[in-house]
Amino acid sequence: MNYQAPVKTTLLELRNLHTDFQTSTGTVKAVDGVSFAIERGERVAVVGESGSGKSAMAMSILRLLTHPGKVAGGEVLLDGRDISRLSEGQLNAIRGRLVGTVFQDPMSSLDPVMRISKQMIEPIMRNLRLNREQAREEAIKWLGKVGIPEPERRIEAYPFEMSGGMRQRVMIAMALSSRPQLVIADEPTTALDVTIQAQIVEVLKTLTEESGAAMLFITHDLGLVARFAHKVAVMYAGRIVEFGRVEDIFASPAHPYTQSLLGTIPSTAMLKSERLPQIPGLPPDMRFPITGCAFKERCAAAHDRCCVEAPRLSQCGIDHTAACWAPHGLGEGATLKAERPDRPNRPFEPDGSVVVELNALWKQFDTSRKMVVRAVNGVNLRVHKGETLGIVGESGCGKSTIARLLLGLEKPTSGDIFIAGLAQMVFQDPASSFNPKMTIGGIVAEPLVVRAHGSKPERKEAVRRLISQVGLDPAFAERYPHQLSGGQRQRVAVARALALNPSVVVADEPTSALDVSVRAQIINLLVDLKQELGISFVFISHDLLTVRYIADRIAVMYLGEVVEYGAAEEVFADPRHPYTKALIDAVPVPDPAIESRRTSTPLQGELPSPLNLPTGCAFASRCPMATDRCRAEKPALPTHDLARQVACHYAS
Amino acid sequence: MADLSLPATPTRKPSLLAVGSAIARHRFLSHPKVRLALVLLVPILLLTIFAPVLPMQKPLETNLRAMMQFPSIEHVFGTDKMGRDIFSRTLAGVQISLLVGFSVAAIALVFGMVLGTLAGFYGGMIDRAIMTVVDIFLAFPSLLLAIGLVSVMGTGIVPVILAISLADVPRFIRLQRSQVLSLRSRAFIDAARTVDASQYWLMTRHIVPNTLAAMLVAASIAAANAILVEASLSFLGLGIMPPQPSLGNIVRDGQTYLEQAWWISTLPGVVILLIAVGLHFLSDGVRELLDPRSR
Repeated sequence: MNYQAPVKTTLLELRNLHTDFQTSTGTVKAVDGVSFAIERGERVAVVGESGSGKSAMAMSILRLLTHPGKVAGGEVLLDGRDISRLSEGQLNAIRGRLVGTVFQDPMSSLDPVMRISKQMIEPIMRNLRLNREQAREEAIKWLGKVGIPEPERRIEAYPFEMSGGMRQRVMIAMALSSRPQLVIADEPTTALDVTIQAQIVEVLKTLTEESGAAMLFITHDLGLVARFAHKVAVMYAGRIVEFGRVEDIFASPAHPYTQSLLGTIPSTAMLKSERLPQIPGLPPDMRFPITGCAFKERCAAAHDRCCVEAPRLSQCGIDHTAACWAPHGLGEGATLKAERPDRPNRPFEPDGSVVVELNALWKQFDTSRKMVVRAVNGVNLRVHKGETLGIVGESGCGKSTIARLLLGLEKPTSGDIFIAGLAQMVFQDPASSFNPKMTIGGIVAEPLVVRAHGSKPERKEAVRRLISQVGLDPAFAERYPHQLSGGQRQRVAVARALALNPSVVVADEPTSALDVSVRAQIINLLVDLKQELGISFVFISHDLLTVRYIADRIAVMYLGEVVEYGAAEEVFADPRHPYTKALIDAVPVPDPAIESRRTSTPLQGELPSPLNLPTGCAFASRCPMATDRCRAEKPALPTHDLARQVACHYAS
Repeated sequence: MADLSLPATPTRKPSLLAVGSAIARHRFLSHPKVRLALVLLVPILLLTIFAPVLPMQKPLETNLRAMMQFPSIEHVFGTDKMGRDIFSRTLAGVQISLLVGFSVAAIALVFGMVLGTLAGFYGGMIDRAIMTVVDIFLAFPSLLLAIGLVSVMGTGIVPVILAISLADVPRFIRLQRSQVLSLRSRAFIDAARTVDASQYWLMTRHIVPNTLAAMLVAASIAAANAILVEASLSFLGLGIMPPQPSLGNIVRDGQTYLEQAWWISTLPGVVILLIAVGLHFLSDGVRELLDPRSR
């Protein structure tokens, strides 16, 4: 291949970039003076929470901002030429040609009524000046490179005929086919499963390396950054607070925000008794001017100067700058410390009483075309009193269906569900889980009202107690959901779930819609409540690091079946099912040293359709060690008396 | 759990609802389209309300000594072939128009809410039964349907209101049903179902309050439309019957004399236009205020 060694010359340089959003409540300074440079062939990751301005910054480069966003000042130098003052027409010659883009949601970036061929071939003809035949060949070549099977046939598909991962591959093929010098990727894997994410990242990495393109990669996932980037820019409140080489940022972060972020991720070695460090508070409201450092309210090392004067980026190592008055942020080599002492290290010991029992549970959905979706296929699970069961698996594996069955929101096709007491739920999306027309007090009181618990004043008292139990001020009872942040809403969701003293709380991806800095707060809350109240949890997530930290036992699901079950630490330390191994392998670890040693190739292929299940082992189509026996004969999970169960012919 | 408490932003007093509605009122009155609408509609409304006490001839009173008179201070809109005061008759007609508009909006809102909620919430047979009827009604243009119904039910204000409502109710059912369908799958409904909330509770507490805004906008559009349809029916001689005045039948009466006395038809026609434009801007303004993206 035409591999070009990256020549160290600057490709893109931002100088004091400002982007404003004019809203009815004031001007939001989304990007507030950002300057940095990308060398040729370099992969720069921009990390930050939602609202930190990372996407606005990336979109400002090509002026792809949505209304009411506007680039308010600064220069964008591409190859030494200022493109921030070009006309739309001149910019269009650069978009797609010199700079390719890959966005988060491939469904909305692809035209749903156009075949892939039509969407790919014409830009290639225009950008590379090829005729239709050559352009088509080129398109097929790129589809093959990004890992689309049978590209000659799939090029005539419509976007809806492809899975999310396949669509994202098409987006990457489109972005790279014009041989751009720079690729801007805005959260390209956020909507995807961890195994598919690993594949996509691998594709992006090898192909940009091959073509010598530089890359600006926007993400909130620090693990991905470690796997992928050469350099990292950490953004907070519209500014870059730290910039440097990936090894330096992870080994010796200099800004308190970076240090805190790295601390909030549960590491693989962390004990359950250790409290997860958390960043207090919330990011600032960008509608109001900020005096001094934007992070001062949440920073343990903040002092007088931070409140008056905003620090500028200053050198703190080779190619490493940070915007903090303190030379080492929170302290030499420090990361965030947990605020409260660790929990007493009480190893979990079930007292034998079973709170939840699923026996040979099957659930099928009839679709309109007389087809049957087999969502859950013969699941046996038990949850003991005070135990947390983590359920992990890719989307479509049936884990959310199990949650709905547990709560009685769906009726099982066959099998029994036994629950001692009441099951309650914390939903994934804090935006849609509350009636926008009700106050927080009304929302938390609803279960009590429906079940006719207590008198009105008693209920009011109960609401106060519940709201403070989840760490909110009881004054929140008067507010409406839209006035709360995502983390606060998730606390309210927990309060509502606790209202009727349930014996088990089912949490379906309770932290996946939250920002990294808030996530740790919610996880700590759940663990504390579990210890204080002795309730059981069913914690459903695709975030394996969090599940390992929070769960006592783990059930790994694949295509509606449990393929591995056991104590959380054991499953992580010694995964026996090839699928569990692949899942754990795919998780990006926020440590560049570990990531650079990563040799195993990511799990290939995607989840088969639950419409027609294979006769043998469900995982055989993707399993690296599958044999004819696997394809013919289904491995059964041993009876559920065993503490460790694996459904694989070759696990031992 | 002291360490988990967040720095609570100060609670606003007085209650948030009051503050919210004050902001809403301010935004409402400062919206340019709403202002234009109020400039057009408020004088007409005031004149209509105070018509009985204004010093002028009663709408049905004839004066054969002052037939077909050009507009003057005494007869602002002039007089017709029987010497009746056109201005007074126009205001009486506006009264009828407003009555029709409000009644139709209220009927459509109530029936649309109830039937649309039932169809969307329960689905299955109930949905199919309601929606089949709705689809049949929607197959006819609303004015044509109203004409047909009035010719069956007879003329007069009650048949006119019923006929226009019957044409509007299916649209409201459709709208309500589609809103309910999208709300039904929201997580807060599931949350209420996990504590075994009754279906009545789900519908009244969770679904209907969240559909109200869109339905009110639709009702304001329906009211404007009903006023125009009533005028059209009366103009065609199918609505309000003379001598009872209605904007439509005043225009109809005057069209024979367009060459000798243009004011008989033209001036009430201008009032129809002003009301229609005013209500259009009002409903547009309300819609934009409720959904900022539609601007």
